[in-house]
Amino acid sequence: MTGSPALDKLMASSPYSLPQREKRAVLTERTRELTRHHYERCDLYRNLLDRIFGGPKALQFDTLEDAPFFPVSLFKTRELRSVDPAAVVKTLTSSGTTGQAVSRIHLDAGTAQLQSRTLVKIMQHFLGVQRRPMVFLDHPGVIRDRRSSSARAAGILGMLPFGRQPFYALRDDMSLDVDGLLEYIRKVGEQSPIFFGFTYMVWQYFVEALEKLNLQLSLAGAILLHSGGWKKLEPLKVGQEEFRHRLIAVAGIESVINFYGMVEQVGSVYFENPLHFLHASIYSDIIVRDTNTLKPLPPGRQGLIQVISALPESYPGHSLLTEDIGMVEGSDNPAIGMHGQYFRILGRLAKADLRGCSDTFQKPLPMPS
Amino acid sequence: MSTTTDNDLLVRLLAPALNVQSVESALHMNELPAEPFSARRCRTLGQLSRIILQDAELRADAGTVALGYWLRRANIDRLTEAFRRRQEGEPDVVFVPAGRVFHVAPGNVDTMFVYSWALSYLCGNRNIVRLSGEQSQVLVRLLGLLSRQMQDDAELAEGNRFLTYEHNQSISAAFSRWATHRVLWGGDETVSLLRTLPLSPHASERAFGSKFSYSVISIRAYLEAGIDAASKLAAGFFNDVFWFDQMACSSPHLVMWVGSPEQMDTTLDRFHHALAKEIERRGYRGGSSNAIHRLNFVFDLACETDLTADLNQKEFLAVRLSDTAALRKEICGGGLFTHSRVDHLLDVAELGEERDQTITHFGFSRTELRELAQRAGARGLDRFVPIGEALSFEAIWDGYDLIGDFLRRVTVRVK
Repeated sequence: MTGSPALDKLMASSPYSLPQREKRAVLTERTRELTRHHYERCDLYRNLLDRIFGGPKALQFDTLEDAPFFPVSLFKTRELRSVDPAAVVKTLTSSGTTGQAVSRIHLDAGTAQLQSRTLVKIMQHFLGVQRRPMVFLDHPGVIRDRRSSSARAAGILGMLPFGRQPFYALRDDMSLDVDGLLEYIRKVGEQSPIFFGFTYMVWQYFVEALEKLNLQLSLAGAILLHSGGWKKLEPLKVGQEEFRHRLIAVAGIESVINFYGMVEQVGSVYFENPLHFLHASIYSDIIVRDTNTLKPLPPGRQGLIQVISALPESYPGHSLLTEDIGMVEGSDNPAIGMHGQYFRILGRLAKADLRGCSDTFQKPLPMPS
Repeated sequence: MSTTTDNDLLVRLLAPALNVQSVESALHMNELPAEPFSARRCRTLGQLSRIILQDAELRADAGTVALGYWLRRANIDRLTEAFRRRQEGEPDVVFVPAGRVFHVAPGNVDTMFVYSWALSYLCGNRNIVRLSGEQSQVLVRLLGLLSRQMQDDAELAEGNRFLTYEHNQSISAAFSRWATHRVLWGGDETVSLLRTLPLSPHASERAFGSKFSYSVISIRAYLEAGIDAASKLAAGFFNDVFWFDQMACSSPHLVMWVGSPEQMDTTLDRFHHALAKEIERRGYRGGSSNAIHRLNFVFDLACETDLTADLNQKEFLAVRLSDTAALRKEICGGGLFTHSRVDHLLDVAELGEERDQTITHFGFSRTELRELAQRAGARGLDRFVPIGEALSFEAIWDGYDLIGDFLRRVTVRVK
């Protein structure tokens, strides 16, 4: 019991069990609760509501679309916390390229626990209750060298509890350890493994590597989970469909599941449903807004994605405007046996390039070679 | 010892032709002496004006239309007339071109480089203009037209190079060595970076650092002027803000209202309403990421600054400060401005800083403004123009006489 009937109801239900209308009602109630919770506990959040959303009246809203939000980038410039620093058990940081500011997300024991509970429920829906052998399409050093890429390490560490006998299929130089992988598959025998990796790494170091080696594996029954966006594959003109086809061709993996999530809302991730759209569980939802006016848009119209999560209690991250562009594709589709709405990510909003009389040369670039 | 020679350094030429060539060949220009404000050069700029204003694509871009008007014969004649007066006023001086001018054009403010170049060209100089790497469609078109004109005008083609290169100190150094005058448009960072490159001991330099510009409006005059005047003012404010995505150094980022606090709500409602209508009337649509860019700025600001903001505006986001003391002169751009209020016009002088450039104004007398200029100018402000004229380029810029910069004065005195 959490002290919140809305949260209790969500936590007691399975992730795709509530029809969209019913889910929205519970999630709206929970969002009102969280908005008030953070208003009372986080000074900066209260400043935002007072100064931009008109003060306490912003706490009363009837629809999720009217809930206050703020741009997710604020976690990069501000310390947003609704608990005492002493209560923080873990601080998550976003990936971010070198030199860029990173998001800092402060978790207390309660929020961390809510996150792992929902993550387990969502994972189990797709992967089953049994923990299966797990192959990481990365090298083992990535979780030791925390400086290299915290998002990669965090992804693997987050995934570890859902599998067993972890195996890292890449060597330190990122080459595919084919012999090691075949040996591992032989060892685990009947139980087909779960593969996990970042989308572009799966492509570059697994699919393309196998193709170059002219090797075909038959990993029927295995599941590939991947995430991290398609941006790096764009120049290669690799879309979702080709990704799946080439994976089947080269590795025999038929079950490929993409997921969308962010460090600012761990736990309430969006997994790819059988229609190949990203599906919102009952613990979260999205609202698509016009990139210009920020007005909510109906299904089928593309815009900025706002993410709502029922989980964040230690930091005010329950309603965030992302810079991702997407569109709602449908909801409560009986054909897939999952309630709730599903959507597609179409890319990321191009960064505002507002250079003026300043920044003639932007920042020093390397000499052209 | 560096073994690199100017022959190994490559630049991308944009006009008179499109090709990659060495710095050395870019520097190879005719050495014929030219005369300031020659009839021929005046004519060339007039032709350029016609070509720009007749081009359907360029005519769709307000900033370029303004440029076309500025280059038209009547305006060039005015500049020439002013030069003749200058000559008459100084009978002991023979004016000659400064010689070889290296211009570093500003980043995203597409057409600004043409003003700097045109004045220098008019003064009879040879010019190298470095443009930023990413050129907009408008700029590409403009350079194309310039190249075409160069085909019929050998003097224009032989004495001017428009080019680009990725940031490379060796190339900038070579052009700096060549120059007798260097003009750096481009903000504090670029200026600091390029200033480390030595010029010839005989050369001179003008640098334009990052600037902050704002508006001052009399509350009483604004309300008394009525709705029609508010619409007209909104049209002017629109130009000042939106032509270059609010990133020109003279675009306002702050509106300082002068008067009593009681009427602020009414005033701002009218102001926002008029601006929204103007945006609607022109069918203006800013860049797709401008809205989120404004939001990121405002939410970060609101964490620590007491303000109110209305997210329901389209294409702009206005922030209202409760206390002028909380003002931070930070630039967001893309349609964000801050409202603040003072009791008296002269209070604005207290806010003056070295980097302040243009004040666009409404509702004050010449005497009042001159008094403010007297007080605030010493702190940095350079220019007071009516709202709507922020981006009108003038030969006096940032308080400096550009034509004076592009000329050398040779004194000839006889007994």
